[in-house]
Amino acid sequence: MNHLTNEQLENIIQGRDEDHTHLDQCQDCRERLAEKRAIAARLRSAFMSVKADEGLADRIRSQINRDSETTKNIASIRQIWAIRLHRKIWPALTAAAAILVVLLPLILYVTTPSTATAAQAELVMIHQQNLGSHREFYSDTDPEKLAEFFKDKLGFTPAFPCTGQGMEIRGCCVAHFKGQIVGSYVVDTPRGIISVIVVTETPKEMGMKHMPGKKGFEKSSYAQNNMVTVRLGDYSYCAIGKISEISHEYLRGLLNRLLPNTQQ
Amino acid sequence: MSTRDESFEKLAMPHLDAVYRAAVAICGRQSIAEDLVQDTFAKALNRFELFEKGTNCKAWLLQILRNTWIDSLRHQKVTGLTLPLEDEITAEATEAHETVWSNAEDLLENFSDEQIIKALSGLPEDQRLTLFLTDVENLSQKDVAQITGVAVGTVKSRVSRGRAELKNKLNSYAKQMGLIGGEK
Repeated sequence: MNHLTNEQLENIIQGRDEDHTHLDQCQDCRERLAEKRAIAARLRSAFMSVKADEGLADRIRSQINRDSETTKNIASIRQIWAIRLHRKIWPALTAAAAILVVLLPLILYVTTPSTATAAQAELVMIHQQNLGSHREFYSDTDPEKLAEFFKDKLGFTPAFPCTGQGMEIRGCCVAHFKGQIVGSYVVDTPRGIISVIVVTETPKEMGMKHMPGKKGFEKSSYAQNNMVTVRLGDYSYCAIGKISEISHEYLRGLLNRLLPNTQQ
Repeated sequence: MSTRDESFEKLAMPHLDAVYRAAVAICGRQSIAEDLVQDTFAKALNRFELFEKGTNCKAWLLQILRNTWIDSLRHQKVTGLTLPLEDEITAEATEAHETVWSNAEDLLENFSDEQIIKALSGLPEDQRLTLFLTDVENLSQKDVAQITGVAVGTVKSRVSRGRAELKNKLNSYAKQMGLIGGEK
């Protein structure tokens, strides 16, 4: 007789629909279920006595009031400046705005290739978020722990970079890409920080173009970032870095070194 | 008090106890938990315009709490400091979850609340908050998945592993206290 799995028992505890036929017949599974329920109940009761003291609530309220005062002061200063600007320098601002209106499309045209796709924009966004402070960032550098983190988050372990030679993994991040959770690792290189994002889409599906003379590698640029992608098994590994710091050729070299299986 | 502050007081402040409990669960220290909660509410107020009225404010606050905790861990790592968390837990590496306690409820009543909370604090970080949100705050797997930034399937497996690990630690305490035999 196959016993219920732990996850099936958890579903029963959560009140989700499960077939209870086996439970009715199996003393072992009933006992396992009772034990899990008892642990859950004891955990709940242990925390019932944990409450924030009134002092904490007061400190938070004081902080809210202080923030509120600061916001008001900033608003007043802004208002004064707005009046001054309106009275004295609005003609200059209007002229500047007119120049921007003319220049902005030109700047975008120069910096954004016409082949850029929504997928590339998403990849760049993930890289920029990886560099931000609010991204969930698993910062352990032990490859085994990073692999475990990815296995847990993604359900598979992507190929992991071979570092050294001035390169170091800073950590891993997860993000949403085309409705799916994808993983990326952030690598410190001698020239700057790059993200290597692992997606299921092929480079072609992401609108990448072949790198002449570099079989297997595809490239693109979007919003001041260079991208180079290589396919390895069922996944594409996309390396991204700032145009000002990192060229396509440098990214390709990094992918070659980081993921030895890609070497041609 | 501005309209925003009044709204924050009305919607967010009632969840102070829940956020504080979660902070105790994830960082295991009352003093650290208080600072964490204060930071969380400060961030929440700053971002209150982004909160969608009518959605689950408690889940929103808990998500900010978790992100704030991760940021502080990252900061601790960068500055070379470590939080005194795991060192207090001395549970033996046994496989207690393979055997079932015949008198689970009675056995669990022998532990103090502090022991239970301490055992939870000793779980791996991903399991700790997930188990707390599921068992103590009684949040749905979907809400827990949103707060912890993982898929619902991952929440299920973390709860399952977390509960087994918690039992493992409590089993170790029970042996030390002579509540159960060394070999079972």
